[in-house]
Amino acid sequence: MHVYIYDDYLNKGKYNKVINRIEIRLTDLGLNGKIIRLGGIKNIKATIQNEIKLGAKTIIAVGNNQTVGRIIGAIVDTDIYGDFQKKTLLGIIPVGDDNSIAASFGIKNEEEACNILLARRIEKIDLGLVGNHCFLNQATIQSLGTILEIGDYSLEIIERGEVKIINLLSDKNEKIKSSPHDGLLDIYIKTKKKDETRLSAKKFRITNPENKLILDSVAEIETPAEIGIMKDKVNIIVGKDRLFE
Amino acid sequence: MFSKDNKLENFKDAETVIGASIKVKGNFQGQGSIIIEGALEGSLKTDANILIGEKAKIVANIESKDAIINGEVRGNIKAKNYLSVGGTAKIFGDIQYGEISVEKGAIINGQLLMLSEEHKRNEKNKEETGAEK
Repeated sequence: MHVYIYDDYLNKGKYNKVINRIEIRLTDLGLNGKIIRLGGIKNIKATIQNEIKLGAKTIIAVGNNQTVGRIIGAIVDTDIYGDFQKKTLLGIIPVGDDNSIAASFGIKNEEEACNILLARRIEKIDLGLVGNHCFLNQATIQSLGTILEIGDYSLEIIERGEVKIINLLSDKNEKIKSSPHDGLLDIYIKTKKKDETRLSAKKFRITNPENKLILDSVAEIETPAEIGIMKDKVNIIVGKDRLFE
Repeated sequence: MFSKDNKLENFKDAETVIGASIKVKGNFQGQGSIIIEGALEGSLKTDANILIGEKAKIVANIESKDAIINGEVRGNIKAKNYLSVGGTAKIFGDIQYGEISVEKGAIINGQLLMLSEEHKRNEKNKEETGAEK
């Protein structure tokens, strides 16, 4: 059974046409299912987990990065992640801006997303973890004053710029190589002095007293924070033009 | 071993790069090739190759297969295979190497010790056994 989770912002009139188009396309492809609108729900996690228990095989996020993040938080609950959740597939239908996660999976627009759901090309993807929060693409923080403690050594950054902790590339023009299957996070630091740093790690601690860590351009987390990775944690329906092997 | 003509080519796909704006403290250890352009204090070790950039300042013992030193190193260096010391290098410590080349202008303040043929053979055997696996 397919369960479509519509984000709150899709209630706005300007999205009516695109939602109609998606629903007609899904019906044509025989992919129609239950629709849940997040606008009217207080406990999103409980609602989604209930749908999984009721037998939802595919949960489809209709919205943007934030929608995907909220749904992953419910599917991959770090406390109760069980067999029934492992079998659940996640699909994405991107609508509007801020859809870098869908782009990483080769899903460019809503129409293509419907065809990708039909094709059901499945990839197991690692998930980045910061405390109880997950991220799919990347976590970012200002570089100046950031300290990374990795095993036996620490890195201190003494110039302004940005630290990216990448699980899944969202920009195909990025020079760094990163795989969401290797069980490693790629740390990429670029400063205003144009020098670059790159290394990989499984887990580390990050500290920056002045700035917050931003997960998938959505959630803000205070530091110090422990960062890790969960290997092959989520099954995602992807397009053939995805940005990884 | 890399040839002396295209030695920098080996670092094009280095797994780890530490830029000039980074200070590393502690025991830095890697499996792949490492480029250091910033500062490092502690120790630096890899089974592959190490390149120390011109502006890098290292206070550490270094151990690798091949190494190119162009910056300042205060500590002992062991390059099991081949060591290239550039004209901008300043080394204050003892050096062990399989083979060495030193460019004009380099400063070396320490003892140079060539690793025995037996040691080199052992290293080569280890590499070949590793490659077979």
